[in-house]
Amino acid sequence: MSNLINLLPVFLFLVGMLAISAYIQRSSKEERQKDFAKDYFIGGRTLGGFVLAMTTAATYSSVSTFVGGPGMAWIIGYGWLYMAIVQVVVIFLVLGVFGKKIALIAREIDAVTVIDVLRARYQSNFLANMAAVVIVAFFCATMVAQFVGAAKLFEAVTGFSYVTGLSLFGLIVVIYTTIGGFKGVAVTDACCAVAMIVGMSILLGAMMHVGGGFDKMMQYIGTQHPDMLEPFSRGKMPMSLYISQWLLVGICTLSLPQSVVRGISYKDTKALHRAMIIGTIVIGAMTLVATWIGVLSKGILTGPLSAYGNSVDNITPTAIISSLSPFWAGVIIIGPIAATISTVSSLLLSSSSSIVKDVYMNIKGEHGEKLSNDSIRRYSLTATILLGLLVYLIAINPPSVIWQINMFAFGGLETAFFWVLIFGLFWPKANKYGAIAAMGGGVLIYCVTMAMKIKFMSLHQIVLGIGFSLVLFLIGNAMGKDADEKVLRIFFPERYED
Amino acid sequence: MKRSDKFRQANREAIATVVAAVAVIVFWCIAGFGLADVNISIWHTPLWVWGGCVGTWLFSILVVFILTEKVFVNFDLDSEEGTKHE
Repeated sequence: MSNLINLLPVFLFLVGMLAISAYIQRSSKEERQKDFAKDYFIGGRTLGGFVLAMTTAATYSSVSTFVGGPGMAWIIGYGWLYMAIVQVVVIFLVLGVFGKKIALIAREIDAVTVIDVLRARYQSNFLANMAAVVIVAFFCATMVAQFVGAAKLFEAVTGFSYVTGLSLFGLIVVIYTTIGGFKGVAVTDACCAVAMIVGMSILLGAMMHVGGGFDKMMQYIGTQHPDMLEPFSRGKMPMSLYISQWLLVGICTLSLPQSVVRGISYKDTKALHRAMIIGTIVIGAMTLVATWIGVLSKGILTGPLSAYGNSVDNITPTAIISSLSPFWAGVIIIGPIAATISTVSSLLLSSSSSIVKDVYMNIKGEHGEKLSNDSIRRYSLTATILLGLLVYLIAINPPSVIWQINMFAFGGLETAFFWVLIFGLFWPKANKYGAIAAMGGGVLIYCVTMAMKIKFMSLHQIVLGIGFSLVLFLIGNAMGKDADEKVLRIFFPERYED
Repeated sequence: MKRSDKFRQANREAIATVVAAVAVIVFWCIAGFGLADVNISIWHTPLWVWGGCVGTWLFSILVVFILTEKVFVNFDLDSEEGTKHE
């Protein structure tokens, strides 16, 4: 199994990503000399519809799309697929609600990050710094979880060690993100999205071949596991789980900063409209195929969970190994690795933009120092590579709770930004006290209820986080006063002109 | 288009997007849970799976298509000039 030839496809794919980033670095030399931060962190606002759609979808879908999700579908059946499809709303919702407004505002105030927009709206450095801490902390946790998940999958499928896999794709993604910047991330993300779709389609086809065709496999599953054909899966998939998931991976994803920032990056309104359509097609297809693979794998992996190491995370690798030759398994592994690196690249760049642009440059600015373009370049590149290496080092010997941290971070980010973004962009009366209370209090309550496993009506803690965050926003807001008219004229011109 | 008009339009589009998301949720409920007791299977896969999963996906694409064609308007993000209705 441990034949170096089998690593060749992954290696070539990763080298391809490096080459793309190197090319983009060279071709954007001029823009970077003019305004490094704008080109490096937001791609100079030049994304077209296709790349915008693919980078948003690829950033959103992660290694869990390939491993955790299909594993659960193997146990639950079609109920899990029915739940997972709620994700069709995630692309058009964020781009449709925030896309245009944030693009207009970002151009007006020359914003590069979501935090730039929040700082300008709420006139609060405290809020901006808190947001930066939330982003860096939750993004780093997510990146480590992505690395760990992909490296485990890599080990199980190729037979090469965990550290070999991690070092191969982990170091390469850190390097190409550092040199390519946002444009590099966007274009490589688009390639990754294509690789994911191709990889999953090959796996689906191979599995159906091994299992004797879709109809035959479903007949077997229907006879042996009739519960898998029911939406509630005989109690394994309760209504509260559906509602929780609609919020956690559906509606509340609206406020994930790694998605919202894409609203600053596109070229024109046509690109946005196209991205909404393409993104919805792609995210739906990916979710359907990946999760369907999980359901169908019940037709070829017929043992109890204990036969697969008592972990649903072993289902996908086992399905890959049992339906493909080692060489083709080496090709397929590109899919989940692409999902991983496309998520990590965006989170890494957002994190370093928070550190350099939102915190460091702002502190310097307050002391009246303006950093030269060259030192911004130096600091940005250094922050990206150091943060990336830190995440890589933590992933070599990860804390054991890392898997829970992934979904935990997702909900934490949603709680932090949901009301702050919605009210900030759509409610002129929203002020900084409301925003600080909502973000700080909401995240605190979310973390505490998660840690103590307190639930409301057996719904996920995101309900408590978002609910309390709303209440705290309204209370805090009542204590503060409206933002300056100068600010409101930028964010709500429709209230002032005519 | 004036800047204030662009913001008015962006607000309208945001509301329309939320309405679209609600429409998807309603469709999802009806085509999935609503068909759960129907005793029809295609390739040994019950109808609610096709309706609730594949159907919801196709319905979302349709909804977004209508949204971007009928509600969303193209305008210049940078300057006050040049609005194109398409």
